[in-house]
Amino acid sequence: MTLQGVIDAVGFESVLVPDAHVEVTGAYTSDLLSDVVAHCPESALLVTVQNHKNSVAVCTLVGAPAIVVVHNREIPEDMLDIARREGIAILRTPEDQFTVSCRLGHILK
Amino acid sequence: MTMIEVCEVLKADVLVKGEGVQKTVLHVIASDLMSDVLLVDEDDMLLLTSLASDQVLRTAQIVGAVGVIVVNGKPLPSSMVNVANDLRMTLATSKFSKYDACVAVHAALGPA
Amino acid sequence: MSATAQIPAAASTLGGTDPAGGNEPLVLLELIQRLKVRDVMSTKLTTVPRTAPLRQVQELMRKKKISGVPVEESGRFFGLVSIDDIIRALGGGYIDDACSQHMTTKLVVLEDDMPLSFALRYFDRYHYGRFPVLNRDQRLVGIICQRDINRALLVELTHELHRLESSSAKNAEQDGTASIYVLREFPICKYDFENAGKAANQIKQLLQEKKFPAKIIRRIAVASYELEINLCVHSDGGVLSWQISNGRAEVIARDAGPGIEDVEWACRDGTSTANEWIRSLGFGAGMGLVNVKRVSDEFEITSKKGSGTTVKSVIYTDGAEQG
Repeated sequence: MTLQGVIDAVGFESVLVPDAHVEVTGAYTSDLLSDVVAHCPESALLVTVQNHKNSVAVCTLVGAPAIVVVHNREIPEDMLDIARREGIAILRTPEDQFTVSCRLGHILK
Repeated sequence: MTMIEVCEVLKADVLVKGEGVQKTVLHVIASDLMSDVLLVDEDDMLLLTSLASDQVLRTAQIVGAVGVIVVNGKPLPSSMVNVANDLRMTLATSKFSKYDACVAVHAALGPA
Repeated sequence: MSATAQIPAAASTLGGTDPAGGNEPLVLLELIQRLKVRDVMSTKLTTVPRTAPLRQVQELMRKKKISGVPVEESGRFFGLVSIDDIIRALGGGYIDDACSQHMTTKLVVLEDDMPLSFALRYFDRYHYGRFPVLNRDQRLVGIICQRDINRALLVELTHELHRLESSSAKNAEQDGTASIYVLREFPICKYDFENAGKAANQIKQLLQEKKFPAKIIRRIAVASYELEINLCVHSDGGVLSWQISNGRAEVIARDAGPGIEDVEWACRDGTSTANEWIRSLGFGAGMGLVNVKRVSDEFEITSKKGSGTTVKSVIYTDGAEQG
């Protein structure tokens, strides 16, 4: 499914979307960046509370095209900067990791 | 669905059967930041986490969780089993990723 | 005494006033003055003679999970082999040499009849993990490390406080005045991650046994846990205490340093001075004091950069402690 498709289906806030047509094939939920580096599949959406520039760096590393920041955490400027540079999308939701994962589970079969 | 039933759905290895093993799971929290877990006011929660540390169990006891499942097939430090026994907290591990675990639990709970 | 001592705040008040601003003498302070090194030290000693090869020491350290092995013969003390000595030996290729050739002989030792308060100053001044203990005849009788002190203080404190509680309850029966129903104190050590949260877990179990209402327990437990982690991660060590009486549960965290520069900033959402290492262990996301405030009916924090901090959380219990 395209990133825009996911955004529309779930209703995420689009904080930064460099490429709305990028393919999303799955999702990975974790707040431990070491864990993301070790296990996150390519083309997955990263679901995390870590509103930190390191999360973007890790996405670039593993080939994840977008991050969904949960609990409506504020996106700091330096996180936006690196996301723009690396072409990683940042989405946001007021919901928690479990709820978001379940929603994505429905649409990303 | 009870804690032990969730463990079955996630094909989890139950290392410690605690007080809440037969209790119904009322809420699921899938977080790796224990500081966030402490902000939640729900009762009878299941904690799904990638963090394998004694702190997870201590936090779980503080918030009255029914149990902890460590995901990603992470090997646990032996101290965790001791702490789980001391606190009578159900502790299990599952090879599912946290995302897959959330989806599987949700599917097993039936359509909303 | 230095304010950066890795000891409960009370010890730093010897001969002076409590730097954290409290006026009441802490039970801990009396204990530290009353207890002697011999009351607290480990006497189950693993030692080797001078001729033992360093490799044997290495094996002992691995098997017994200890980090220092005294070298003694029939109680006569010669020196100490530490993990650092072993590492150097392995690197230098002399692990099969006898201990006597490489053990540390210039050592600080403690005497068994020294008050614990004295010993704590040594820990602070010298930053060694452990000290051998000799008796009046200069014979090796034990070894003392931080963990021994914590364990002993915890046991003594609990006895002392049980005693206070039961005598206070007796007074209440006799003269009908309000008394203290629950009183506990725990020393919390800097970066003691193995035990971080244990005190809060225990207080929660105690409240469950006393059948307090679940929602009240939850709030007291959360406040306690957050304050305990704070002491462990952000202070140089301190004391966590509980006093529940007259419908008020007071959870108080006192430390002797390093002090908070901007108290308002510290109480704000998401602010933290935790370093990367602490975050990697799962702590330090900066929600602690905010969360304590959230669950408290009253919240008070006093601190000065360079000296101590006291955080007090009060949760109303509606007399639950009276059963």
